[in-house]
Amino acid sequence: MNRSSFVRKLVYIVIIALLLVPLSIYSQPSVVGANNEVSEGGKLAQLRKEYQISESSLGEIDPTGETIKLATLGLRGVAANLLWHKAEQAKMKEDWDGLQATLDQITKLEPHFITVWRYQAWNVSYNISVEWDDYHDRYFWVKEGIKFLLRGFRYNDHEPRVLYDVGWTTGQKMGTADEKVQYRRLFREDDDEEFPDHRLRPQNRRDNWLVGQEYFEKAIHLVEDRGASIRRQNPLVFFSEPAMCQIDYAIALAEDGIFEEKGKVAWTDADGYWTRFGQRSIPTTFGIEIRLSEYEPLMEQVTAVAKKLDDIEPDLRQKIIEERRAKLTQDERDAMDVPQQKRTPEQMRVAFEAQIRLNVSMKELADRVGQARREEAQKLVEDAVKLQERANIIGRERDVVNFKYWRMRCQLEKTDPALNARRLIYEADELYKLTQLPEARRTYEEAFANWRKVVDQFPEMADDAIGGTSIEDAIRGYFDVLKQLDEPSFPKDFALMDVARNMMIRNAIPIPPEFMETIGQQPAGQPAVDENGEGEKGAGANAEGETQPVPEEKTDEEKAGDASTESDKPAEAPAKESDPPADAK
Amino acid sequence: MVLENPYPPYLEWLFSAGYNPGAFWIWLLTMTGVIVFGLLVSWILSSVRYGPMKAGDLIFKALVNLTDDLAHTSPRRVFALSRLAVQESIRRRVIAAFIVFVVILLFAGWFLNPGKTDPAELYLSFVLTATSYLILLMALILSAFSLPADIQNRTIHTIVTKPVRTTEIILGRTLGFAAVGTGLLLVMGVFSYGFVVRTLDHTHELSEDDLDPRSAGPGGVARPGKEGQTTVTREHRHQVVLDENGHGISEPAQGHVHEVTAVTRDGKTEYRVGPAANQFKARVPVYGKLSFLDRSGRPAEKGINVGNEWLYRSYIEGGTPAAAIWRFSGVRPDDFPDGINLDMTIRVFRTYKGDVEKGISGSITLRNPKNPKVKYLLRNFVAKEFAIDRHKIPLKFKDKGAEVDLFRDVVSDDGELDVEIGCLERAQFFGVAKPDVYLFKREGTPWINFAKGYVAIWLQMVLITAVGVTWSTFLNGPVSMLATIATMVGGYFREFLDELGRGIALGGGPMESLYRILTQNNLTSELERSITTVVLLWSDKLLFRGPLYIAAHTLPDLESLSDVNYVAKGYNIPLDVLTIHVTMAVGYFIPVMILGFLFFKMREVAK
Amino acid sequence: MASPAVLESAPSASPEPRTDVVIETRNLSKIYRDFWGRQKVRALKALDLEVRRGEIFGLLGPNGSGKTTTIKLLLGLLFPTGGQALVFGKDASDVTKNERIGYLPEESYLYRFLNAEETLDFYGRLFDMPAHVRRQRIGELIHMVKLDWAKRRQLREYSKGMTRRIGLAQALINDPELIVLDEPTTGLDPIGCREMKDLIIELREKGKTVLMCSHLLADVQDVCDRIAILHQGELRELGRVDSLLKIRDVTEIRASGLSDAAKDEIKAVIARHNGNLVSMDNPTSTLEELFLSIVQESEARPGRRARVEN
Repeated sequence: MNRSSFVRKLVYIVIIALLLVPLSIYSQPSVVGANNEVSEGGKLAQLRKEYQISESSLGEIDPTGETIKLATLGLRGVAANLLWHKAEQAKMKEDWDGLQATLDQITKLEPHFITVWRYQAWNVSYNISVEWDDYHDRYFWVKEGIKFLLRGFRYNDHEPRVLYDVGWTTGQKMGTADEKVQYRRLFREDDDEEFPDHRLRPQNRRDNWLVGQEYFEKAIHLVEDRGASIRRQNPLVFFSEPAMCQIDYAIALAEDGIFEEKGKVAWTDADGYWTRFGQRSIPTTFGIEIRLSEYEPLMEQVTAVAKKLDDIEPDLRQKIIEERRAKLTQDERDAMDVPQQKRTPEQMRVAFEAQIRLNVSMKELADRVGQARREEAQKLVEDAVKLQERANIIGRERDVVNFKYWRMRCQLEKTDPALNARRLIYEADELYKLTQLPEARRTYEEAFANWRKVVDQFPEMADDAIGGTSIEDAIRGYFDVLKQLDEPSFPKDFALMDVARNMMIRNAIPIPPEFMETIGQQPAGQPAVDENGEGEKGAGANAEGETQPVPEEKTDEEKAGDASTESDKPAEAPAKESDPPADAK
Repeated sequence: MVLENPYPPYLEWLFSAGYNPGAFWIWLLTMTGVIVFGLLVSWILSSVRYGPMKAGDLIFKALVNLTDDLAHTSPRRVFALSRLAVQESIRRRVIAAFIVFVVILLFAGWFLNPGKTDPAELYLSFVLTATSYLILLMALILSAFSLPADIQNRTIHTIVTKPVRTTEIILGRTLGFAAVGTGLLLVMGVFSYGFVVRTLDHTHELSEDDLDPRSAGPGGVARPGKEGQTTVTREHRHQVVLDENGHGISEPAQGHVHEVTAVTRDGKTEYRVGPAANQFKARVPVYGKLSFLDRSGRPAEKGINVGNEWLYRSYIEGGTPAAAIWRFSGVRPDDFPDGINLDMTIRVFRTYKGDVEKGISGSITLRNPKNPKVKYLLRNFVAKEFAIDRHKIPLKFKDKGAEVDLFRDVVSDDGELDVEIGCLERAQFFGVAKPDVYLFKREGTPWINFAKGYVAIWLQMVLITAVGVTWSTFLNGPVSMLATIATMVGGYFREFLDELGRGIALGGGPMESLYRILTQNNLTSELERSITTVVLLWSDKLLFRGPLYIAAHTLPDLESLSDVNYVAKGYNIPLDVLTIHVTMAVGYFIPVMILGFLFFKMREVAK
Repeated sequence: MASPAVLESAPSASPEPRTDVVIETRNLSKIYRDFWGRQKVRALKALDLEVRRGEIFGLLGPNGSGKTTTIKLLLGLLFPTGGQALVFGKDASDVTKNERIGYLPEESYLYRFLNAEETLDFYGRLFDMPAHVRRQRIGELIHMVKLDWAKRRQLREYSKGMTRRIGLAQALINDPELIVLDEPTTGLDPIGCREMKDLIIELREKGKTVLMCSHLLADVQDVCDRIAILHQGELRELGRVDSLLKIRDVTEIRASGLSDAAKDEIKAVIARHNGNLVSMDNPTSTLEELFLSIVQESEARPGRRARVEN
């Protein structure tokens, strides 16, 4: 009996010892050897390193956090969940101090849980700030959110996403909110001691867009130089932010009425930023790295290759077309013979289909090349396809950030006529506000003359929304001035008649009688500016002029002018209020 | 301060509050119900074993026995047992709790950031919360382990073989541990008050360089004196305006002010900034009854809901006759010799952006309830949110050129006063709740208020002790500790449990939730009616919601017993609230004790 | 929860409590059950006993025979499964009977953080004794148990014998009429044993009734007037110690300090009375023999009732 119990104990000890073996292997720490060779350590050490969750030096350990973690006896997940619930309650009951205290506790418990920092910072900056009516308070809370993120970054200094959010809130939240004028002013004047570095910045750098840009660049720096990951964020958007900030900065300057040299520099810088962005090598989901500016050269290469192919047997293409044309039915031939404008719808359809059959693709061409050079031709086709594919990808990716548009805008805005036009419009608006109507009218006209030059220089911009909605607003203002000067319509030599005409078609301005007929005849499907395009300035004008009730939330969205870039940003910004962060649980 | 469930005056609460039948009657009814139910159940159970007649006889005898015990409870024996409990506590190193407390205070600086808008609030709520957690922890450990330990090492044998009544054993322990808790609480109270006062005490410096001649007043009138700002201490600074003698009170920051005096020495002027004053508050408010006028000026019980999840505040529309009217009673000239201070916190809701730079303005109108036709416009104001905006109602003021005497014209003879608040801007809204506007009667004594806050903690401690002792009459030490912890946690989340129990919480019980997860139905979608869902819903109801409901209604309401908020926010704890809480605690204490007697009587103390 | 055990036994149902009977059990039985209510041990089977005023009654039996269970039932520490236990004519669950009882538990279960005086004071208060009476009693008792020198020491510092003595003092604090002693001599050295026995006899002389249980036969034999022998929860033997031992028609002579001449003289006397001298030295422990024979007998033929002699 005693013997068996002894044997049993022996077996236990052996089992325990055996279990310790894998444990010790598993948890072996990483060690730097005598000859500086580094042993990776056990699996746990590796994982810890991989996820960067260990405080590597004693100085980084936060005693409070560690104490609280210990005090929860390993139930910190549960505790954090309870606290999260408490935070939600505090928010509902408008107990803002309680909310902040709870957030502090959560982050003490889970300092490396990025979503907590990001989500709650957004919560504070975006949701709590608007609970207050006074814009000073709103500004305070926006800033609290930023401070919260910066605190989070101290615990997670390898996380570009946290810095990205700092940049986003500083730039976009402050720069595009309803209270942007006030926010930007307060930001310039801010000498909050808790707001690191801000007091050290020179006065001319204390612009929310420039500071936002600074943080975006820091985030990029982390990714580029320290190999940090941006996880599921779209790299295009991520890398475009500094340039976008510069553009927004330049736009904001104009809105503040700052032109001249500063405006020119800002736009020139913006152009530089955007060009560099275009030259940056960026990974895509297609598994390749691209440069956005590559598109044009690629397309040129495609054309060159096509040319080469054609040159192998110069008459071959025409020959094939002729062959095919011969195979067309009589109907089809008839339809094609009718001049384009006079075809009936049926004829149009038939002619269209016939035309498609007549088109000769490069592959078809190559297949018909004589035996001797067929291989060469097919090789060319292969090259062209490859080039085209790459170009297509780049084209698609370009749309994500509205690359072409912004490139052109930067180039355009930095020109003297554009800068002049912007300045003059601003002045004219001011004059209009002061009801100095004749002067306002003259200034408007001067502005439009300048803008005409711009449109002529960049014809692609003519019917784009671009000129921005601000040009349309100016035309609207001009029209009002005219009306008040008892002139029923635009003068004959009005420089931007084409733009005005488009506006009339969309009913964006009332149609003067003499245009009634001509406008009525215009086909309906003219390139129309996106209706939402009015957002930015439209709301502003409303707020200044007649005070129409505009729901607060709606005007908060802003910046529809930058429609396409904007549209994917909300997805990058923390989730909507009602959605808890996906990985919060 | 947010008061979600304001209490009516004590007697009204106890016996009748209009539509409410009165707490005492509810208590009586509940007690009777529970007793009858308990007797019935035990009679049925005993009947199974002994037959109905014998069972009835036994129950009658048990009742006689209990009454006998109650009647013969001797104070001396209770005292002896209490004293034993105290001695036992001391032997069990209850002092450790105090040491932990001191350690917490020492390290509190790590957690607490004094740079908050009102550090006094933060510190007060911290010490009060820390004290109550610690004292409750101590109470539950002491009470839950004591009886089981006595039974375990059989010391109880020498006690129950003396002519000691069960009531005395239970009561003695409870009172003994409560006494220990009381002593500890007293010491902790003194320490915490000292800690808060000492930590928040600070001063600033102000030198000649910080000051500039005073800027011109309205109309460019030059004003004597100087203005400037002090140095930064504890993450804040004060703006000061000094008169020509160099004296002045600073602008408030972080909820306090400093007095500045100038001292001239050797021809140089030095400024002395005094200690932080008015740091701790115990405002004694007079709350009114709130009613509304709707947008067409008709009386309404509530204002408009602007779509907040939290229904605490009701909104009134601006630019319409809509108004919120507070009727204050007991407004006597003696209480307000210098006129009335009207404190208010108004929430703003904009339906359009309006002028960002400007706040939304409203008007304060006074009325005599006896003569409601006549309105006196006190003044217009710009709403301040989440802060107390104080408006003075002087004893005499002018309205439309006529002189108005506050107590002669406005306040009715029986001391009633109507204050009407309206919003002046069209399509903008003001949100108000009853406690948002009150008459500031006087500043109470902060330390007395602090002590009152401790009374609330004390009540919780006594209740937890009683519950712990009662559980330990029939459970062993660790189990009764767990049971007490469960009671405590449940008591703090009583409202939540109640919600779950009544099925108000979205998503239903565990069965329904499981079903929803498996069938990928979201929380709000209607469940189709099938045998499965009906069975699931009923099993939820019977197995989970029922017990939860019962639990929610038998657990001590520790949540509402806590008065931390009053103290932290700087409001006097009204006597009514205090007495109501004491009554609530007594009302819970009695049945818990009786249960303890019964359980202990039923068990064999030896093994 | 099962119906309260308190309810099971009606108090003092006996119509005319005989004043000279202090303890009476009728058909008293106790079954220990486990958590699920299943029967685990039948600790006591239908015990009928009477203890009369002024006698020292011993409960005797091997470990687990039901002695302590009987005492606990009599004191109300346990509730009987069947039958009745009456003390002073009152049901054992009645608290008021405790006024006249003193109880010394098997191992003095006292609060080790109190000193002797505090202990006695505490128990005195439990009897609701006024302060001056308490003071007086405490002084007397501490003197009686010879602990004056250690009365300010906490009990944790006491030796086993001292604890025993303070336990006894505690049991006597109320000057009880009935004293219940559970294994009074365990843990005592021979001198302590002797003193304890002297004390017990002294108590009887003062008119107290003593109920003691022990498995030490010598103690019982020395002091008890009557004994009951329990084995496996059943009463095996009950009667006066002298008569129980007298059955054997044996006379024991024990003396000390006799010269050989005196011994011869005694032998002569015995011979003169036609007696046989069995032995003159080393008397056997006859109770032990009786006890062992009962145990053997009951193990050989379980279920047999003991003969009862008065």
